[in-house]
Amino acid sequence: MSEAAIDIACIRKTYKGRVTALHEVSFRVEPGEIFGLLGPNGAGKSTLVKILLTVVRPTEARGSLLGRPIGEKAALARVGYLPEQHRLAPYLTARQAVEFSGALSGVRRGERRRRTDALLDLVGLGAWKDRRVGMFSKGMRQRAGLAAALVNDPQILFLDEPTDGVDPVGRKEIRDLLVRMRSEGRTVFLNSHLLSEAEQVCDRVAILLQGRVVKQGALVELQREGAGQELVVRWPSEPRELPGCAGPPRVHADDPTLHVHEIASLDPSDAQPAIDAARAANAVIVSLVSRRQRLEDLFIKAVSDPVTGRPLPPGASR
Amino acid sequence: MMALLAILVDTYRELSSKRLFWLSMALSGFLVLCFAAVGINERGLVLLTWTIEIPLLNTSVLEPGEFYKLTFYTLGVRVWLAWLACLLALVSSAGLFPELVSSGTVETLLARPITRWRLYLFKFVGGLLFTALQVAVFCAASFLVIGVRGGAWEPGIFLAVPMVTLFYSYLFAACALLGTLTRSAIAALLLTVLFWGFLFTLNTSETIVNSFRVAKVEEIAAIDRFGDRRRQKDPNVDISDLETERSLAEEALGSLRTAHRILFTAKTVLPKPEETVALVERWIVDAANLRSVAPEDGDDEPSQDTLAKRRRGRGSSFGSVRARESDVLEAVRRERDARSATWIVGTSLAFEGMLLLLGCVSFSKRDF
Repeated sequence: MSEAAIDIACIRKTYKGRVTALHEVSFRVEPGEIFGLLGPNGAGKSTLVKILLTVVRPTEARGSLLGRPIGEKAALARVGYLPEQHRLAPYLTARQAVEFSGALSGVRRGERRRRTDALLDLVGLGAWKDRRVGMFSKGMRQRAGLAAALVNDPQILFLDEPTDGVDPVGRKEIRDLLVRMRSEGRTVFLNSHLLSEAEQVCDRVAILLQGRVVKQGALVELQREGAGQELVVRWPSEPRELPGCAGPPRVHADDPTLHVHEIASLDPSDAQPAIDAARAANAVIVSLVSRRQRLEDLFIKAVSDPVTGRPLPPGASR
Repeated sequence: MMALLAILVDTYRELSSKRLFWLSMALSGFLVLCFAAVGINERGLVLLTWTIEIPLLNTSVLEPGEFYKLTFYTLGVRVWLAWLACLLALVSSAGLFPELVSSGTVETLLARPITRWRLYLFKFVGGLLFTALQVAVFCAASFLVIGVRGGAWEPGIFLAVPMVTLFYSYLFAACALLGTLTRSAIAALLLTVLFWGFLFTLNTSETIVNSFRVAKVEEIAAIDRFGDRRRQKDPNVDISDLETERSLAEEALGSLRTAHRILFTAKTVLPKPEETVALVERWIVDAANLRSVAPEDGDDEPSQDTLAKRRRGRGSSFGSVRARESDVLEAVRRERDARSATWIVGTSLAFEGMLLLLGCVSFSKRDF
């Protein structure tokens, strides 16, 4: 197994007053993937990222970041970070802000200047390089922050709500940038509430609730859980159960003359016996569609009480 | 080194983006212009082209170079740099540490390969730039004025740069710690000014009590001297008046010694801003013997009339009735000069070091 970009054996964080923000969290992020850490507000996502980046001191942290123990500063030279609601110094120009960030990461002057120019062009601030950040809109500040996070040519990029305040075009540009980083073999660690965005780019996700990982895995695999096909049929008379289908049909939500038969498999060949039986009974096959779980459904299910079906309180626990 | 340089440049940019920085610079420039507009000649004080005749302030009493040096120290260093400019510097830089630890800023800084204590100390050094720059510009301009107008090229003036910066660093160390703890520029500023006021009060109290103590020692010496003299003239003379005065003086000296010991102990562990700036006076002004007090003629016992006047507070120094004013002032000055620069700066730096250590620990242990 190759060396993980992030390998968390155990991270625990208990604040004063016995409030536990993270309970023995563990997961692994492979190099060159986009990993999404999802969870409701107060679930402990930002705390986890901050522990990895030495902003918050853990109660216990075992694991590695780029092959070095968590908490070791040297690893951060190859890490980029864009925190949620970050503040670039308003008295600096975009160029100065990005260069300052590079200097703190130990990027040499010539390289820093070259990368600063290229990155500001990349994030669409080429014409604003020498303007003060204080006069930027929220979206422009976010772009400048992204350039600052990338100036040290990071192996891992941590992004906390990167598209917050960015217009739709900007969002797409950021998504494209993340995909490009992945194709270059870099790792992206994405903290986001925007599930639709995460769904579009993430390879793997972990869902955090009350400081615990309640679900994790490859997004495709997770979406396959509970996936299947829906066979929509118009019966000439009373509907019948069909072979290979899970239980009796239900009435279609939009058209009561139609019935929906659920097949608990994504394989089209598993639908053939049901189709044959329906046609033999003179039923009309209206459609056969495969159905995957959307990330939002997955998320809601993961953060809900399995008994009541209601969302669990998200925050830290005592 | 790269990180230190980056933080210094960033701090300079932060400070220079504030209007107060430029206002302070402009005021420094204005003060130097005023400085250059004033001079002395053989008749008195010269203001641009007008001469104001002053019998005790002309070139027969004071050389032009000495006049400028004295003005530079008393007005430029003691009033402007050590008070007003320092206060402006505190107002401007009080926000540096609250800004450093503010949400959204601190995360991006801490997520860099630089340790927290370095970040804290580099920012602190950056904050001292404000004062160092101000003082350097002021000293350079004053150096030219003293050289051109007073004819004395005095490189010793530049000693004010490290000394005033050092003085400011005592206060800024407190401001940095308070800014880190409270995360509020206003709270940090107000508490630092309070701390400064406390140090000033303590220093003034210690100086006054010490002067009275020294004066009392001189008083007892003078009483003994006059008693011996009376006995030499007539061995059977009655000196009970002197003995009564001596026992009263000794009693007062005992109380003054106790009070001074308490104040001196408190002062020893705390920073000494006034005395640090006063070192500039020792090195620049006193070196030119500008402040030496002319000795009074004779050592005769004061008449009953003089004693009565001194008891009413006229012609006495720090309550001494028998001792000569010049002796008391000289003794006070000797006492002041006996405190070495190493003691003044060393003990102050030890306290500053403790504040910085507390700041570093607080910054390093906190979650953001």
